[in-house]
Amino acid sequence: MNNTAVIVGEFKRFIKFFISELKPRGKWLTPFNVISIPIIILGIIILYIRFTQGLGSVTNLSQQFPWGFWIGFDVVTGVAFAGGAYVITFVVYVMRVEKYHSIVRVTVLNGLLAYIFYAGALVLDLGRPWNIINPIIGNSFGYNSVLFLVSWHFLLYMIAEFVEFSPVIAEWAHWPKVRKFLTALTLGAVIFGITLSMLHQSGLGALFLMAKPKIHPLWYSEFIPLLFFVSSIFAGLSMIIFEGTISHRVFRNLIGEKSHHSHEQIILGLGKGAAIAMFVYYFFQALIFIHQEHWALINDFWGYWYLIEIIGFVLIPCFMFAYAVRNRSMGIIKIASVLALVGIVMNRLNVSVIAFNWDAVNKYYPSWQEIVVTLMVVFSEIWVFRWIVTRMPVFNKEK
Amino acid sequence: MEFYYYVNIFETKGLEYLLLICFLVLFILLVRYLSPPIKKK
Repeated sequence: MNNTAVIVGEFKRFIKFFISELKPRGKWLTPFNVISIPIIILGIIILYIRFTQGLGSVTNLSQQFPWGFWIGFDVVTGVAFAGGAYVITFVVYVMRVEKYHSIVRVTVLNGLLAYIFYAGALVLDLGRPWNIINPIIGNSFGYNSVLFLVSWHFLLYMIAEFVEFSPVIAEWAHWPKVRKFLTALTLGAVIFGITLSMLHQSGLGALFLMAKPKIHPLWYSEFIPLLFFVSSIFAGLSMIIFEGTISHRVFRNLIGEKSHHSHEQIILGLGKGAAIAMFVYYFFQALIFIHQEHWALINDFWGYWYLIEIIGFVLIPCFMFAYAVRNRSMGIIKIASVLALVGIVMNRLNVSVIAFNWDAVNKYYPSWQEIVVTLMVVFSEIWVFRWIVTRMPVFNKEK
Repeated sequence: MEFYYYVNIFETKGLEYLLLICFLVLFILLVRYLSPPIKKK
């Protein structure tokens, strides 16, 4: 048999296998399905209206508020939550800390899906979405724009994460030779991915450097890129703790015995990393506050809101993480991770939506359609995640 | 209310140095606190 016939035969086998894998598994009538399916259907209808009648038909966006909830939550916040992938791959593949090896696959999958769905949600928010390809194909590159860097980085990072995850796909498809080849590419993809990630996490912050007159001074600083980068470290770690806790419960039967036993140690290690990153972030914020002499701004609504974010959702979870790691308290570590995630949502929404045009007479509030579409994006990601982990060897258990 | 006034970068230097020293000391304490105590044999 010649090579072409072998490839065609293997391709046919894969298509057959893939179709068999598409069949739903497990119970249909679960609380998650009951909530998510109507929201996803409603979201699709809203998106149809958005693409046929324009942004104004379903959003409260305007010339004064061109960036709203979709950018603020889906893109700016979602990408911070995906930061766990570059942190964990750095720790495992570069620092060679083998303790975290069992969570690499699921973390990379989470990161990849977060980029596909949340960064992909950027298309929804563009007035002329077909122009999204311009920075890539060279039609008005816009070399001086931070968005040029961010768009290229998003694309390249998604490819790098796909390469990092591809050995799992090859393993699932029973392609041992392909898997061997793809595994050899992993370290290169990891190093490339870490470089890209560090740059575009800070690049997202750099987007707001040109909006100095619009952002409240408590949230504007020339160090926004650095703050976005450092906060993405603990955002990613907190997300892994949060997501890992849920996965550990929901996909209990898919997780190998070894991973079950090491789960607590891994969570404690991640909590330690998050505590240190939050501590550094808090002092960066304090240094910027002092340097920019913001004392006069602290005694009004915006000042109190800023203090709630920094003390309530950075300093307190930082102490909680430290206390929990020292006393091996899994409960406190999980609460701290939720608080840290809320803090990240607050920070990113403050910079991009809430404290943006803070002194404008007309305020921006997201429409119910914007919230439904955001929920649709989140639920769709969870659906795809669930489909993949129930079929592919993501949790390191031999199938 | 005008927020964009000239900032004298030397005005707050003393406080910034103090904060940095506090940070370094507290950071060492935090890392020591986070490290598990060594069990005596």
